[in-house]
Amino acid sequence: MSDITIQKILNVITAANIVKDAKALELDKPLSEQGVDSLDFSGLLFSLEETLDILIPDEDVDGLLTINDIAIYIDTNK
Amino acid sequence: MIGVAQIGCYIPEKKLSNLDLLEKFKTDEAFVRDKIGVVQRARKEKDEKASDLCIKAFENLLTKQNIRSEEIECCVVVTQNPDFNIPHTSAIVHGALDLPESCASFDISLGCSGYVYALSVVTAFMQANGMNRGLIFTADPYSDIVDENDKNTALIFGDAATVTLLDADAKLKPLGFDFGTKGSGFKNLISQDKLYMNGRAVFNFTASTIPDSIHKLLDKLKLNKEQVDKWYFHQGSKYIVDTITKRAGLDKEQVIFDMYEYGNTISSSIPLLLSKDILHFQKGQKIALSGFGVGLSWASAILEQS
Repeated sequence: MSDITIQKILNVITAANIVKDAKALELDKPLSEQGVDSLDFSGLLFSLEETLDILIPDEDVDGLLTINDIAIYIDTNK
Repeated sequence: MIGVAQIGCYIPEKKLSNLDLLEKFKTDEAFVRDKIGVVQRARKEKDEKASDLCIKAFENLLTKQNIRSEEIECCVVVTQNPDFNIPHTSAIVHGALDLPESCASFDISLGCSGYVYALSVVTAFMQANGMNRGLIFTADPYSDIVDENDKNTALIFGDAATVTLLDADAKLKPLGFDFGTKGSGFKNLISQDKLYMNGRAVFNFTASTIPDSIHKLLDKLKLNKEQVDKWYFHQGSKYIVDTITKRAGLDKEQVIFDMYEYGNTISSSIPLLLSKDILHFQKGQKIALSGFGVGLSWASAILEQS
């Protein structure tokens, strides 16, 4: 995955005010273990779809646990 | 022109606490309080039907407003959980309240957009037929269809009913409406045996649609959002109301939120909020309403106090 994609994801997390400090998030640790609850996660996916002009179908969501997972998914499906 | 005169409410005294379900659903109090926005869910008795809730709301209305049943020309019930498939619940309410035979009665089958739809439908119906006084009931007892083991829905919905008195002399009158439907998404919120909700899909629908509906309506009425004094959104969850507030660029101090002690009451959520403010609006004040959900359907309105 690219650092640019990671940065885009962190920018979306910051803009959506999902956590206080997006830079403090660990890239390979599940977001659910870093203070991102299920509603925040839905909000994050919505913002990613809108900002990055991508579509993330429901059937793909279960595999997106970490920021790295999301970045790989975006790079693979853009 | 027909307007909103008064609102009667019924919220069952029995409450079920979400704080008792934290362990079951592996969640915490902050999520329940600050994200869902529901600490307790109002719960009707098992044998109570939608019409029973309507009648109790009407009893509450009578404590606020002197009404003679023979004056009522129109009785409408908004529900998707009627007493029976046949007949319409409004006929049962009509009979229970001993309304006159000349009183028109019909149901409107809509969920969370139902109250705003009904305001347009019933005010237009009354005006077209020269009526002066009518009633809009909302009662959608979701406790009959919610799966208590489904985390997506078990922490959200409460039972309640309201009745809105529409009157030709009322001061709070609709200026305009915006409606819409995304029927392709109907499966995302559906009750076959029990209620199923795709929370992500409903969230996406709401976050993308409702801010646009508000701005479209403001444009249509040649108003800006600063000219609206209060915003009454369907109380789907605190998270969704906060999301709409942010995405529509509204002042959160002007957005009403209150569902902590009874839950998401479907078509009753907006009139429950309005009932607290209905007598306090000043001449010239404008308020906005927006309901959204099942369908997927939405309806927004702006009303003005004359």
